[in-house]
Amino acid sequence: MERTARTDRRQALGAVLRDVVAECGPSLRVLSGQAERRAYETDALTVHRVLPGLVLLPADRSQVAPIVRACVRHGVPYVARGAGTGLSGGALPAESGVVIALAKLNRILDVDPDRRVAIVEPGATNLSISAAAGEYGLYYAPDPSSQVVCTIGGNVAENSGGAHCLKYGFTSHHVLAVETVLPDGGTAVLGSDDIEAPCYDAPGYDLRGVFVGAEGTCGVATRIAVRLLRRPEAVRTLVADFPDVPSACETVSAVIAAGIVPAAIEMMDNLAIRACEDAVHAGYDRQAAASLIIELDGPAEECAEQFEQVSTLCSEHACTRLRIARDAAERAAIWAGRKAAFAAMGRLSPEFLLQDGVVPRTRLAEALAGIADLSAAAGLRVANVFHAGDGNLHPLVLYREADGQGPTAEALAADIAELCVALGGSLSGEHGIGVDKACSMPKMFSPADLTAMDRLRAAFDPSGLCNPGKVFPTPALCGEARAGAYQPHPLEETGKIQRW
Amino acid sequence: MVGASSSASHADGGPSAAQGTSADGAGAPEPPAGPRSITPTTLKDLRDAVSTVGAVLIRGTGTATTWGAPVRDARTTVSLAGMDRVLDHRPADMTVHVQGGIRLDVLQSELAARGQWLPYDPARSEATIGGLLATGDAGPRRLAYGSLRELVIGATMVFPDGAIAKSGGHVIKNVAGYDLAKLCHGSLGTLGVVAELVLRVHPLPQTSRTVMVRDVNTALAQKLTWALTRSAIEPTAVEWCEPEQVLAVRFDGTADGAAARAAAARSMLTGSLAELDAGEAHSFWESHAARVVAEPGDTVLRAATRPGIDPGLVGALSAFADRAGVKALLTCSPATGAYTVRVTGADAKAHAELVKNWRTSVEAVGGFVMLRRRRPGVDAMVESWGRAPGSVEVMRRVKGNFDPENRFAPGRFAPWF
Ligand SMILES: Cc1cc2nc3c(=O)[nH]c(=O)nc-3n(C[C@H](O)[C@H](O)[C@H](O)COP(=O)(O)OP(=O)(O)OC[C@H]3O[C@@H](n4cnc5c(N)ncnc54)[C@H](O)[C@@H]3O)c2cc1C
Ligand SMILES: Cc1cc2nc3c(=O)[nH]c(=O)nc-3n(C[C@H](O)[C@H](O)[C@H](O)COP(=O)(O)OP(=O)(O)OC[C@H]3O[C@@H](n4cnc5c(N)ncnc54)[C@H](O)[C@@H]3O)c2cc1C
Repeated sequence: MERTARTDRRQALGAVLRDVVAECGPSLRVLSGQAERRAYETDALTVHRVLPGLVLLPADRSQVAPIVRACVRHGVPYVARGAGTGLSGGALPAESGVVIALAKLNRILDVDPDRRVAIVEPGATNLSISAAAGEYGLYYAPDPSSQVVCTIGGNVAENSGGAHCLKYGFTSHHVLAVETVLPDGGTAVLGSDDIEAPCYDAPGYDLRGVFVGAEGTCGVATRIAVRLLRRPEAVRTLVADFPDVPSACETVSAVIAAGIVPAAIEMMDNLAIRACEDAVHAGYDRQAAASLIIELDGPAEECAEQFEQVSTLCSEHACTRLRIARDAAERAAIWAGRKAAFAAMGRLSPEFLLQDGVVPRTRLAEALAGIADLSAAAGLRVANVFHAGDGNLHPLVLYREADGQGPTAEALAADIAELCVALGGSLSGEHGIGVDKACSMPKMFSPADLTAMDRLRAAFDPSGLCNPGKVFPTPALCGEARAGAYQPHPLEETGKIQRW
Repeated sequence: MVGASSSASHADGGPSAAQGTSADGAGAPEPPAGPRSITPTTLKDLRDAVSTVGAVLIRGTGTATTWGAPVRDARTTVSLAGMDRVLDHRPADMTVHVQGGIRLDVLQSELAARGQWLPYDPARSEATIGGLLATGDAGPRRLAYGSLRELVIGATMVFPDGAIAKSGGHVIKNVAGYDLAKLCHGSLGTLGVVAELVLRVHPLPQTSRTVMVRDVNTALAQKLTWALTRSAIEPTAVEWCEPEQVLAVRFDGTADGAAARAAAARSMLTGSLAELDAGEAHSFWESHAARVVAEPGDTVLRAATRPGIDPGLVGALSAFADRAGVKALLTCSPATGAYTVRVTGADAKAHAELVKNWRTSVEAVGGFVMLRRRRPGVDAMVESWGRAPGSVEVMRRVKGNFDPENRFAPGRFAPWF
């Protein structure tokens, strides 16, 4: 039985290969050797590994549809892959499936400075879009910290966020239209009809809105129209230190309640501050129980006015030290410290788990107290460094595998995620569900919720071959091991990108 | 607990709404032959109300039932008028949880009492929030703040089979699961009832200023719009109206900040300029909204194109209007490419002719034209929707998966599905 199934799959893959080679010609790069395929067996969530049957690297957009059609024709599952920096196993291949690696489709096709729109290929890196737009004083707002390498296709699939998304919104708010190869092999532009002249108001259901954040389960994006923003006239940044965590949390709420929407509000607790300071010497106060980095931007007048207010609010909430960046270099130093947090954690503990949960902002203090209790009960340290303005926590559970603490750490990380849900929050703020948290979905959603989502998925992908096994819990998946230990992305080790 | 336009309310767990009938409340076992109206007050009653037999029309306040193609013989109208409350407003979280039947103007005044607002200004301020999401409507300020799709962070929907499903939640940052609320954006009551929404709200701006330039022809309007979008003064709205040929530019912000930006705009723009005082600005934006809404007997078209004011399209519109002997009043949001045309005068045949002709021009540049309202008789001569988008097959499957019996607003997207 087993052998026949394997033979069938091998034959199906062979058939896919024959078809795509015939249709796409020699420019389609094919990786079929075991060693070559190995490089694609995992994304940045390295605990999960599945060797794909075949890796195809289109050299041209027009090759994507024939690949998808061949997979559908022969019943072979496939997954699109950008840079493989996903942290939830979204680009994990299916057993004996096809990986469509889009890294070569990385061109910025058009930047229209009047309409403030860029048309790009899916493999373009997030940062390359801002770089291309920069000459017109424009930029692409969502800024995941992996932006040097992660692709816009991956961002679209994960609805990625970043530090500045509090004010500017997430990927979903900045994608005007997506040209896709649908799971039935057809092509359509979601959100418009002409990707080269994208409109804001395509009629009918907002399928673009569904596609963004569907974690690659609704088709393969082949071209994307993104909105660009004008660089703000002014930017002001400060670091405020607090004697305790609740004061810092209250300051966050007070700023918002005062009617101010900062470009970013980031928070670090004492453990995180010390780790960062030791690593980067950004000038943080090692004694502070908590620090906030608050950045405002916008028209110069308003920015100055509100920055004054924010400074006052910090003082009113027991801030012990206020450090205001005097110039761009100081601002960069402040951010460098924050961005180094995850790498710096390695100094405290060789192993840690990174969690990604969200709570309503007003419940941050409660959440942090709850995490402290869970941490004490488990006997493991947890450092917190996070997007406070969004209530998006990134607790880092520190442990030692050598001391057999792995399972306790995993249980603690899962408890923290579920604590977020219990406080009225979410399982994930930016890393996605993928295979990593699929088994926790029933904690947040009822069977009816999941059925409705599944109906939607089935409308895009009736044959179920497009990135199967992600987002939704499956018996096979939930029988397996869950969250995994932190493993640095190769680019983190070289210092090119940071995780936060 | 049910009844035509009854305001009856009762606790959860009351008798099922679906068993009730209209005004007489006789509780007859068979549904009556004529249309009946149900006004549930709880989620459970709403569920029971939609899991009835026959076609269902979901009704908000009734400002947009004419949008899209006419619904075929709805047996039941389910009104959200009994589900019109704010469930939870958390100012410090900048979120508000409301029932789908709350009117936008009511919501805005409740938010304003706490110094906040939903930065969203469709012309139909008396419309319900569920209906606004379902119509995918947006006003001039969408340039700065987006439309409702950008402001919804969670939703509870009731599907035709009675399933109650949620997506999203109360937090502004959330990527767990599919975004079902987005699916309802533009669905015109064909997929499910938007029973509850969680919205991201914003601080009320201290002030709003409007700068107006007169005698701006199409080419100049285009030029000035691009000058504004290329600058760092961040207008909240840019609107151009024809035949008056005025360009109105709005700034929301702090008192000093908005004043500074308006001043910057005055020095950047050229021509016959004026900054409106508060009263003038209010009446300008009111009349702008009134034109978009129009009146019975008018035909109203909405075109979506790439951002810009296409001189070819504007020219074609007035030429076709002249030829048909009708008046076509246009408002355009050049920076987002939305055109709303109110057609008055002459007869249905003339209206239909204008729709057909201008739709051809708009589709030739990759856009769409839908009918929001039409003079009686127009439907027989021209379709409410033009060319179907390439993704229509997916929309059909979505509709089929959620409403296999085609009970919710059947015909709304005719001829597409
Ligand atoms: C060090 C580090 C820091 C990070 N920081 C952040 C952060 O600040 N914010 C944040 O949100 N995330 C962050 N991430 C997570 C990750 O970078 C994002 O999820 C990113 O969007 C993934 O992009 P990618 O190109 O690497 O996609 P991949 O990992 O290759 O794929 C991710 C998903 O996208 C799908 N996909 C890829 N391309 C396409 C396409 N063209 N069409 C359809 N589906 C496609 C895949 O199938 C998969 O499901 C970080 C990751 C690392 C390693
Ligand atoms: C006896 C009678 C007969 C009438 N006959 C006509 C007629 O023939 N033609 C006519 O144009 N008007 C007619 N009217 C007026 C008409 O009833 C109202 O215009 C209409 O019912 C308004 O509801 P609405 O949902 O469109 O409002 P809106 O809230 O503006 O709804 C707009 C759209 O959104 C959908 N929707 C609304 N709320 C939700 C929700 N919560 N979830 C999902 N979708 C939603 C609606 O189905 C509709 O497609 C009649 C009124 C009465 C009393």
